[in-house]
Amino acid sequence: MADVCYDEATCIYAGADRPAVDALNLDIKDGEFVVLVGPSGSGKSTALRMLAGLEEIDAGSIRIGGRDMVGVPSRDRDIAMVFQNYALYPNKTVAENMGFSLKMHGVSKEERQRRVREAARLLDLEPLLGRKPKHLSGGQRQRVAMGRAIVREPQVFCMDEPLSNLDAKLRVQTRTQIAALQRRLGVTTVYVTHDQVEAMTMGDRVAVLRDGRLQQFATPGELYDRPVNLFVAGFIGSPAMNQLNVDVDAGALRVGETVVPLSAAQATAVAGLSRVTLGVRPEHLSVGGGELKLQVDLVEELGSDSYVYGHLVAEPDTSLVARAGRGRFRMGETVGIGFDPGQLHLFHPDSGERLGP
Amino acid sequence: MTAVTAPSAVPVGTIRSRSTRQVSWSRRAPLLPALVFVVVVTQVPFVVTIWYSLNSWNLVRPGSRQFVGLANYVHVATDVQFRTALVNTVVLTAGTVIISMVIGVALAVLLDRKFLGRSVVRTLLITPFLVMPVAAALLWKTAMFDPTFGIVDYVLGPLVGHVVWLSRFPLASVMVEMIWQWTPFMMLLVLAGLQSMPTDVVEAAGVDGARPFAIFRELTLPHLRRYIELGVVLGAIYVVNEFDSIYMMTQGGPGVSSTNLPYYIYERAFLGFDVGQSAAMGVVVLAGTILVATIALRLIFTSFTGREEAA
Repeated sequence: MADVCYDEATCIYAGADRPAVDALNLDIKDGEFVVLVGPSGSGKSTALRMLAGLEEIDAGSIRIGGRDMVGVPSRDRDIAMVFQNYALYPNKTVAENMGFSLKMHGVSKEERQRRVREAARLLDLEPLLGRKPKHLSGGQRQRVAMGRAIVREPQVFCMDEPLSNLDAKLRVQTRTQIAALQRRLGVTTVYVTHDQVEAMTMGDRVAVLRDGRLQQFATPGELYDRPVNLFVAGFIGSPAMNQLNVDVDAGALRVGETVVPLSAAQATAVAGLSRVTLGVRPEHLSVGGGELKLQVDLVEELGSDSYVYGHLVAEPDTSLVARAGRGRFRMGETVGIGFDPGQLHLFHPDSGERLGP
Repeated sequence: MTAVTAPSAVPVGTIRSRSTRQVSWSRRAPLLPALVFVVVVTQVPFVVTIWYSLNSWNLVRPGSRQFVGLANYVHVATDVQFRTALVNTVVLTAGTVIISMVIGVALAVLLDRKFLGRSVVRTLLITPFLVMPVAAALLWKTAMFDPTFGIVDYVLGPLVGHVVWLSRFPLASVMVEMIWQWTPFMMLLVLAGLQSMPTDVVEAAGVDGARPFAIFRELTLPHLRRYIELGVVLGAIYVVNEFDSIYMMTQGGPGVSSTNLPYYIYERAFLGFDVGQSAAMGVVVLAGTILVATIALRLIFTSFTGREEAA
């Protein structure tokens, strides 16, 4: 068990014009489950591989339990990693796969068997212990990869998109199992995913990365309620947050013909700007009872809810999505939508930074 | 020999089966010339060889030819020189294949890592395989092993004293030349195997605490197993027939100390002109080779079909 600290950690690939990971600062507490999330090319996997010792730390440092890891090979870091393709040893049985790291650390055969059996029981792998990886299904391979990690009782788990090769249903199921297992073992975990739902549901805290730079490192609730910029606002939440460029008029917003009043704090934040980017989540738009007129282009029925996609009648270039009860709206209809002023996000129109509280 | 079998999915009936036969013959017919050619140039000579082996027939003594039954085979079984040649063949084949494979694996592991000038080094290491076998043997006989101006004696002389390598250690000298020529082949095969090794498995082993040598022993060697088997079998098939380097370097001598079976048969047939004897040896050697090759090829095919691939 240990805390992990990224201190201005930087990784530069040879021949690249910008760092893959650029001066990353993260303070991960002992036993915490931290998710690194971002689109492809954001440097999230590289950041994890730097922690695991599979990529060089070109500048700054990474500390595990206070010990500097620069120049320390993977085998001396006391970490365990779950790979995207599981990276099981094809010539070894499940039991040998799980016991390999113990064998490499000189653990006696009896102790090894005891710990492998224990981990196998935890993951329902006992009947599979004698099989080779090629005789396992995708879900079973994933569990063996998890088992190989937990047998070690390492200081840190590194998980690199461990669920991306599973089908949708199994992914949701395994997601909760991994989160529960981590809570039970209490091992500090760094988990990489491109799926914001995984990030929100599993992480104690989530770090959003883009182009190798940290955008925001906060709890899932904080990310959802107070995204620091337009990128985070658009990345977290599904469907993505609506973004509208609107005029500022005397401490209020003008959307088409409609005036949306702002709170005092918001009015102060937008003072001096003539335009701002307004962000509002689909679930915070009330459909059917507002002054703004929305032309419905598409309705997505999800069973429990439906999402209404459309554009403002006053401004045909816009594109909005709103959550509504099911079955109430049809394509081609014009409906009224309203804002809850307390649920608006304001961003700078050029920099995309959050304005106000 | 015929590799064509007509698909027999058509229901049986007199008219149908006649047309089926026509269809299948229309497919076989174009292959017939090749089949006839193969039979004429391989099977007919083999049958003739068997007939020769049942005769006592020496070209030096005209009119001596007579049918003697299995007497030639009895002679082969009791021929001490034949037995020496057999042992030499086994030693030469096993030694060449095993040692060149060990060196080939080592070189392949070196070439699998990145370093400056890797492609140049790789090309240079492959070169021995590209040299014509007779030329390579001639080169080793003269430039390397010659007792007066050879490089081997020049370099090793001050250390181990003056040695005429080709007459003191004839079989070992031939083996060195053949190892030099066969190592690149083994190296290339193993290099292909190394480059098909998944990187994440190696990374996982590193994270699991394995040192480089443990990774090599626990993961790389099992992965390379079928490449090594393929190299050993293919190498053995060629090396067991080796003639050029023995003819060039030692002429099988001194005595029969570096004679292998092909060279011994050549001597008996074309220097001793004993057609019957050499035909009998040829038949025995062929039978042995077919037996060993069948076992070896079965080994390759099981290891290449029983793939151990994980996702």
